[in-house]
Amino acid sequence: MNKIITCIDGSALSHGVCQAGVWASNKLSKTLLLLHAIEKSNTPSAEDLSGAIGLGARTTLLQEMVSLDEQRGKVALELGREILDHAAQMASAQAREHIEKIQRHGGIVDAICDLEADARIIVMGRKGAGSGENVKALGSHIEQIIRRVHTPVLIVSRDFVEPKNFMLAYDGRETADKAVKRIIEGGLLYNMTCHLVTVNNNQAGLFDKFKSTEAMLVAHGFDVQSSFLEGNVFNVLMDYKKDQHVDLLVMGAFSRSKLATVFLGSNTLKMIENTLRPLLVLR
Amino acid sequence: MLLKLKEEWFSNIRGDLLAGLVVALALIPEAIAFSIIAGVDPKVGLYASFSISVIIAIVGGRPGMISAATGAMALLMVTLVKEHGLEYLLAATLLTGVIQILAGTLKLGSLMRFVSRSVVTGFVNALAILIFIAQLPELTHVTWHVYAMTAAGLGIIYLFPYLPYIGKSIPSPLVSIVVLTLAAIFFGLEIRTVGDMGQLPDTLPIFLWPEVPLNLETLMIILPYSVGLAVVGLLESLMTATIVDDLTDRPSDKNRECKGQGIANIGAGLLGGMAGCAMIGQSIINVKSGGRGRLSTFAAGIYLLVMVVFLGEWLQQIPMAALVSVMIMVAIGTFSWSSIKDIKKHPFSTNIVMIATVIVVVATHNLAIGVLVGVLLATLFFAHKIGRFMVVKSRKADEDTRVYEVIGQVFFASSQSFIGSFDFKEAVPRVIIDLDGAHFWDITAVATLDKVVIKFRREGAQVEIVGMSKATETIVDKFGVYNDPEKVEKLMAGH
Repeated sequence: MNKIITCIDGSALSHGVCQAGVWASNKLSKTLLLLHAIEKSNTPSAEDLSGAIGLGARTTLLQEMVSLDEQRGKVALELGREILDHAAQMASAQAREHIEKIQRHGGIVDAICDLEADARIIVMGRKGAGSGENVKALGSHIEQIIRRVHTPVLIVSRDFVEPKNFMLAYDGRETADKAVKRIIEGGLLYNMTCHLVTVNNNQAGLFDKFKSTEAMLVAHGFDVQSSFLEGNVFNVLMDYKKDQHVDLLVMGAFSRSKLATVFLGSNTLKMIENTLRPLLVLR
Repeated sequence: MLLKLKEEWFSNIRGDLLAGLVVALALIPEAIAFSIIAGVDPKVGLYASFSISVIIAIVGGRPGMISAATGAMALLMVTLVKEHGLEYLLAATLLTGVIQILAGTLKLGSLMRFVSRSVVTGFVNALAILIFIAQLPELTHVTWHVYAMTAAGLGIIYLFPYLPYIGKSIPSPLVSIVVLTLAAIFFGLEIRTVGDMGQLPDTLPIFLWPEVPLNLETLMIILPYSVGLAVVGLLESLMTATIVDDLTDRPSDKNRECKGQGIANIGAGLLGGMAGCAMIGQSIINVKSGGRGRLSTFAAGIYLLVMVVFLGEWLQQIPMAALVSVMIMVAIGTFSWSSIKDIKKHPFSTNIVMIATVIVVVATHNLAIGVLVGVLLATLFFAHKIGRFMVVKSRKADEDTRVYEVIGQVFFASSQSFIGSFDFKEAVPRVIIDLDGAHFWDITAVATLDKVVIKFRREGAQVEIVGMSKATETIVDKFGVYNDPEKVEKLMAGH
C-alpha cells in the first residue's frame, strides 16, 4: 500500500498520466512507480501458406518463431525502457518522492493485478496507445481494471492540472458510503473543496443520509459545498460539473452486479466515457 | 470476458482466415484417407472433420489448434466397424464424447504430467509409423503408374514451396492433388480413385440418432472401444495442445480442452461423423500458415464443408496415389526425427521407454496400450533411480556398539538394498540405527525396518532406533503438505 502505480505506454496521454502520478505521489508521500507492460501481439510475423510439413517440421518452426519473437521482444524491451526513462526524467523534475521503474511482460491488466498488493493508487490514461484518435473512445482495459482491482484508480484524459476541488456523486448506496469513508481515510483529497452532489432518486431516507455525509465530511475538515438536485442522474451530474468548474470527479464504482450492468448499463462507465476531466474511482 | 472472447476470435482475422483455408485444403485428403483406414465411407470422416473443427473452435481450450477425424482414432475403430457396422461406430463416438466430458469435469487433464517426454515422443513416432503403414495397401499389387504418381506427388509437395513468389502462397499438397488428378484424367489411367472407396457427401450433414438398440448388450460392445477412443483422443489432444502452447508461447486451458473434445465428438456422432481429436500435423500447418485464434479452426471447418459439398464430383476423381503421397507427407511431418538423433545423447532408460512405446503401439495398433506401457516403464525407471538415493553408513561407536546411519530415500524400490546394507553376521551386543537423514516413503519401508530389527534381535543384539518419527513424516498421504515451501524445507532438511 505504499506505491503510486503509474501506467505509461508512450501514448499521447502518458505525459498527463505521469503528471497525475507525480501529484498523487507528492501529496501522499509515496513512492512513484512507473509501470510499462509489454503486450504481445497476436499477429504472426511470417507467413508460409505452403501447407507442407517436412522433416522435423515442429522443431524448425519452433526455432523460427522463437528467433522472431526474440527480435521483436528485444525491440519492445528497448522501446519500453526508453518510454520509462523519458517518463522518469519528466517526473523527477517535480517529484519529491523516490521514483521506481518497472517493466513487465503481458497485458497491463495482469501486470497491475500482480503489483496490486503494493499499490496505493493506480494512475492510468483513459485509453492506450492501441486506441485511435477518437477523443471519446475509452481504452479497452479501463473496465477490466476497475472491475478486477480493489485499489483506487485515477483515470486521466488529457494533460493533468493539479485539481483544487472535486465532485463526489453520492447516491446513498453502499459503494458511495464506502467511497466517502475512503476519502476521509485516504489523504489524497485533503485541502480541496468538496462538491457533494446527490440526485434525488426517490430512495427513502436519501436526504438524511446526504445530510449526515455532509456533516461527516465537514467534521473531518473538508470545505464542503453540497447540493441536493432533481432530475436525470447522468445529465444533472454532467451539468453540475460544467457549471461549477469541477477539477476532479470522484465516484464509487459498479454498485450493480455484472449481470445488472449488462441490462441496465453502468453509470460508472457512462461517466468515464463522457468526461475529459480526471476521474478517481474508489472501489 | 467479452474482451477475451474478442481477442480469442478476432485478434488476427486475416491470418486466421488464410490459415483456415490452407488447413481445410489439407484436411480434405486426410479426412478421406482416415475414413478409408477406419473402413467407412469418406463422407463419415469429412462430416466428422467439419463438425469437430467447428465445435472445438467454440468450446475448445486451445485456440488455433486443429481437431478433426484423425488416424490415431481411425485405427482404433477398425474392428468395431468390421464386426458391427457404422451405426455402432456412431454410438461409440457419442459415448466417447460423454467419457471425455467426464474426464474434463474431473480435471483428469492434469494427469498428463505423468506422461513423460519420452512417452510423448514414442507416441508421436508410433502414430507416424501407423499412418505410413496404413498407406501400404494402396501401394501393393498395383501397376507402376501408382508408384510414379506417388513419387511425383511427393516431389511436388516438397519442391513446390521452393518456387519463388507462388511457392509459399499456394498449399503444395493441393497443387500435388490437382496436378495428379488432371494427369490421371488426361492420360485416362485405370487406377483407383477416391470414388471407388465409398460414398462422398452430397448434402449438408443432417442430425441423426444412431440406429442401435439401446440396451446393455450394445453398451458392452461399444464401451471398450469408447474408452480407448476417449483415452487416445485426450492424449493426442493434450500433447498437441502442449506443442501449440510452445509454438505460440501462449497458455491453454487443458481441462476445458478435454470437455471441448467430448462435446465435439458428441456433435460429430450426431451428425454422422466418426470420433476425432486434435491433429499434430494440421495444428503445425495452421500455426505455420499464420493461424492463431479460434477463427482459424472455425473457418477451416466451414471451408471444408463448402468445398466438399460443391466439389464432390471432382473429389471422386482424385487418384488414391495422390492421397497416399499427402499422407506420407503427414507421416514424415509427424515423426520426431530429432528423437533418432537424440538416442545417442539420451540416457539408456529414456530410450527404452520411447522405443518400447513405439513397438507396443505398432504391434497392437492401439496407442492407448502403448502409452500405458510407456508410462509404466518410465515410472519403474524413475523409482529405480530414486531408490539408489540411499546409503547406509556404518561405524563402530565403541567396543560394544555398532551405529548404522541411514541417509536417503527408503521405499519399496530401495528396501532390498536397505536390508542388504546391514551386517547381521557381526556379533555386537548393541546396534543403533540412526534415521535422522532418512525418509520413509511407504509401508514397505517401515516393514523392512521391522525386519532388520527382528533379525538383529535374533542375533542377540539390543537395537535402538533414533529419529524414527522424523523419518516417517513422509508417509503422510496428503498432497497439500508438499506444496508448502516451509514444510518441504523441514521435510528435506539434511539433504
